[in-house]
Amino acid sequence: MNRDNLISIFQFFLLLFLQSFLLNNINLFGFINPNLYLLFIIVYRLDGNPTLLIILSFALGLMIDLLTQGSGGHTIATLTIAFLRPFIIKFSFGVNYDVPMGMIKGSLITQRLLYLLLIVVIQHLVLYSVIYFSYSNTITILKNTFFTSFFTFIIVYISLGLFKEK
Amino acid sequence: MRQLINALLKYKNTLIYLGLLIISLIFLNQRSFYHRSIFSNAALAISSNLNLVGNNISNYLDLSESNEKLLAENIKLKALQLIRFNKQSPKNSTIDSFGFEVFGARIIKNSYNSARNYLIIDQGHEEGIELEMGVISSDGVIGIINQVTANFSSVISILHRDLKINAGFKKNGAYGSLSWEGDHPKRMKLDDVSIINPVMVGDTIVTGGMSDYFPHGIPIGKVFSFKKPKLEGYYDIEIELFSNLTQKKFVYVLKNKKKDQLNQLKNESR
Repeated sequence: MNRDNLISIFQFFLLLFLQSFLLNNINLFGFINPNLYLLFIIVYRLDGNPTLLIILSFALGLMIDLLTQGSGGHTIATLTIAFLRPFIIKFSFGVNYDVPMGMIKGSLITQRLLYLLLIVVIQHLVLYSVIYFSYSNTITILKNTFFTSFFTFIIVYISLGLFKEK
Repeated sequence: MRQLINALLKYKNTLIYLGLLIISLIFLNQRSFYHRSIFSNAALAISSNLNLVGNNISNYLDLSESNEKLLAENIKLKALQLIRFNKQSPKNSTIDSFGFEVFGARIIKNSYNSARNYLIIDQGHEEGIELEMGVISSDGVIGIINQVTANFSSVISILHRDLKINAGFKKNGAYGSLSWEGDHPKRMKLDDVSIINPVMVGDTIVTGGMSDYFPHGIPIGKVFSFKKPKLEGYYDIEIELFSNLTQKKFVYVLKNKKKDQLNQLKNESR
């Protein structure tokens, strides 16, 4: 358990700095910045304490907003997705999920993909809704959500593969 | 008590989520002008609609009194009309050349007991109200429009500590800036009037015409008392307002038709 905590803290700061100083400056096609920091929420133990995750996610989003001069969208989006994560887990792995190590083994590929996709898409939808915050920008919100989710998804999937190798 | 604690423990995730969400909304409100304006617009829309309901009720109860007042005003207008017919000299040209367009509006919320007071009126941008228009009443200045929604507008009252209005003496045009100290709803302070100008108790103060919001010469109040400081070159003048802002129901919004030209001139001379 102690080792898990250490790994979590290490992941937290690694993803925080990676996100704020490297990934937020990519600007692919002018507007796409993959949000790799979602990996923290995705690989958090499925049977871990959800309250702790909510607080940690709030801290993560807040730090990212502060470091990147964001207005507060990351904070709200990350907080919301951490709150919704137990429901998403139940929805994608079924009610009797028994996979404490999460993505690693013992679950169908479709279940894993659904879990990943739901977390990524909902987080981006909340993020861009908060950032634009206006009905007249619905098209922009959906466009940004779609493209950025796509790239985040790819990068998260690749990173998961890297973790698995070790 | 135990059940309460149990219930709290059961919903602790939701409660923590909501608490942190509120914190992040405050954070958002602090950091982003866009979100702040959206939040304050929504708050204005909600509060003005609620106030409208209450105001409609009290208006209905006041109908007979309003009728009497309207009748009195009608009589006065009728008299003016008769005088004009007698003189047979219509002066429409003065009305056309007057640089301000006038809209009537009803106050649906009026505050006067805090240090920064606002009013809400029942006209919005659908009726042609825009930001930074001046608002006057039948006997004085009310304030300046600072927020507009579709059907309502919010007005910074002159009883607002941060608002300063250009005003001057009717008799000789000496001018200064009028501000409110925040204590009495009929007293204001006129600063920056140089001591080389003669001042008497009872002198009439009018709008100065140097602001874009009000035309020159709207009566505001009279000098209540004044002091001549020894070391400074400016008077401390206390003004008593003509209008009682705590009893107003109807106001007029002034649109400066030539504001574009004024702004252009100001930008060019900068």
